[in-house]
Amino acid sequence: MTATIETFAGRRPHVQPRRVGTGAVLRWELRKLAHQWRAKAVLLAALVGPIPVVFVIHGQSRPPKDSLFGRFATENGFALALLILGFAAQWALPLLTSIVAGDIFASEDQHGTWKTVLTRSTSRGRIFWAKTLTAALFAVVTLAVLAASTIASSVLIVGRQPLTGLSGQQIAPSHALALVTASWASMLPGMLAFTCLAILISVWSRNPAAGIAAPAVIGMVMQLVGALGGVEPIRPFLLSTGFEAWHGLLTAPRFTQPILEGAVTSAGWCVVTLAIAYLTLRRRDITGG
Amino acid sequence: MTEALAVDAQGVTKTYGSLRAVDDITIRVAPGEVYGVLGPNGAGKTTFLRMLFGLIRPDSGTIRIFGNTWQDAGVGALAGVAGFIESPRFYPYLTGRQNLEGLALLDGGTTPGRIDEVLAMVDLSDRADRKVGGYSYGMKQRLGVAASLLRDPRLLVLDEPANGLDPAGIRDMRALVKRLAASGLTVLLSSHHMDEVEEICDNVTIMRRGSVAFHGTIAELRAMAPDPGHALRTSNDTAAVRLAENHGVRVEIDDAEGGLTVTGPQQAVSAYVAALVAAGIELRALTPTQTPLEALFFMLTDDETGRMEPQDLDEMEAAG
Repeated sequence: MTATIETFAGRRPHVQPRRVGTGAVLRWELRKLAHQWRAKAVLLAALVGPIPVVFVIHGQSRPPKDSLFGRFATENGFALALLILGFAAQWALPLLTSIVAGDIFASEDQHGTWKTVLTRSTSRGRIFWAKTLTAALFAVVTLAVLAASTIASSVLIVGRQPLTGLSGQQIAPSHALALVTASWASMLPGMLAFTCLAILISVWSRNPAAGIAAPAVIGMVMQLVGALGGVEPIRPFLLSTGFEAWHGLLTAPRFTQPILEGAVTSAGWCVVTLAIAYLTLRRRDITGG
Repeated sequence: MTEALAVDAQGVTKTYGSLRAVDDITIRVAPGEVYGVLGPNGAGKTTFLRMLFGLIRPDSGTIRIFGNTWQDAGVGALAGVAGFIESPRFYPYLTGRQNLEGLALLDGGTTPGRIDEVLAMVDLSDRADRKVGGYSYGMKQRLGVAASLLRDPRLLVLDEPANGLDPAGIRDMRALVKRLAASGLTVLLSSHHMDEVEEICDNVTIMRRGSVAFHGTIAELRAMAPDPGHALRTSNDTAAVRLAENHGVRVEIDDAEGGLTVTGPQQAVSAYVAALVAAGIELRALTPTQTPLEALFFMLTDDETGRMEPQDLDEMEAAG
């Protein structure tokens, strides 16, 4: 350390630390995310993963008739894309979003970097919202990539035949593509709710492993509880219920009320989990690192 | 209008359950001062510095930084302040340069070339594009200093900056802090090494179990220091003890280590050594056991004497 040190007294500073907005913090969070192999691996899996799955199912001599749209999955690309959607909604979507959302706060504890970022010119609140936006953006991109890859590979490998709907109606390929895309898009509110749940667990537990695994486990428990009898009063509040709302798009007549109800439930989960996470982070004493 | 104090902490207390980590401490650091906060591990130094940075909220008391409080100014209270608490931490999957770029972004940006400049100041230019995960402890400490300088602070807060460094690293780190202090920067330095604070600081607060055990200037601290101690080995310890009676030094047999211990003013020790040689007693070793300030530090932080002020010097001297 031999370099010359300037005289600080009376010198014009190179930087005037000022309160920095959420946008700058968001750029920083996105830049960090772009350097994390875990995030790249999730996006790569979402992009490439559906292709072998489509090949394997397409090559089956006996279709999985017990699953929704399974009967037609080996011979209809749209049905196969919907079969994969039903499977992904059970645990894959909560897990994929949690890999970033469950880690984004807890990794600061893991690396001991809270004190590094909180001693700069930005507040805890801005850091919280920038991280939340980053996780939400990642969830949107992951869902979009997974949906696009699944639909494209299903249609290209299996074909774009007319789809038989849940009421037995025939749906023309062009219309089927729109409905299958809408069905995948209807996962977004639920996926964002799982993102927020993962954020809460990440903030509360300060443990990346818990933040990543717990939302997927909770998602499966919700699926199990939703399948039980006598739980009608709580079923509308389960995030797994919203993941089945797309069924209404493929009936005749079509009904979209479950999608709206699922979106409202997801919004409620988002508000509650984020509020608790925000207050937890704001009130926390940073004693580690 | 007088310039606001760099740090004006008054009556600050922080409790964790039944443990008073920081107990009603008051610390004032004037602009341009190099101020040391000294104490053994667990004395409350780091808790105080975390409260200064807003990482921990005090239960009571106020902390003003250049006149601003966290309650009034939020993160704006840190304008002009930089530093690190304990060992500086960075994102291991990013390079040193990328870490600094990100931190600059969190400060609203910096001028072109400034990152290269601060990297050069801490001799990390050639390692700047390597991932921090591969950095040594000392390199991370230096990157921590670079990250602090990036903010062009008026107040630099360093929490045990030489901790974990090898002797060469300690020497370089102290030299850097001295150069920064000489450039007009206010420095608040926490340490548990008396010699480090003595070498660098103008004023010092010594903490013990969350409370202030002493505050004053280094000169006042030196005046309170007891006589230095030395370990002595001779060819005839019995004769050496006898000879001590007329030379104003206290010589005792060291049962634990063997040999003798000599305590007394430096001049008296020198005269005593000359007398040993003149008396034909071979001098085989004479080594300082601890510096006077180290001895005082242990007195202040180990015993139950409680809070001390410079005016207590008279009482200490009177007590011998």
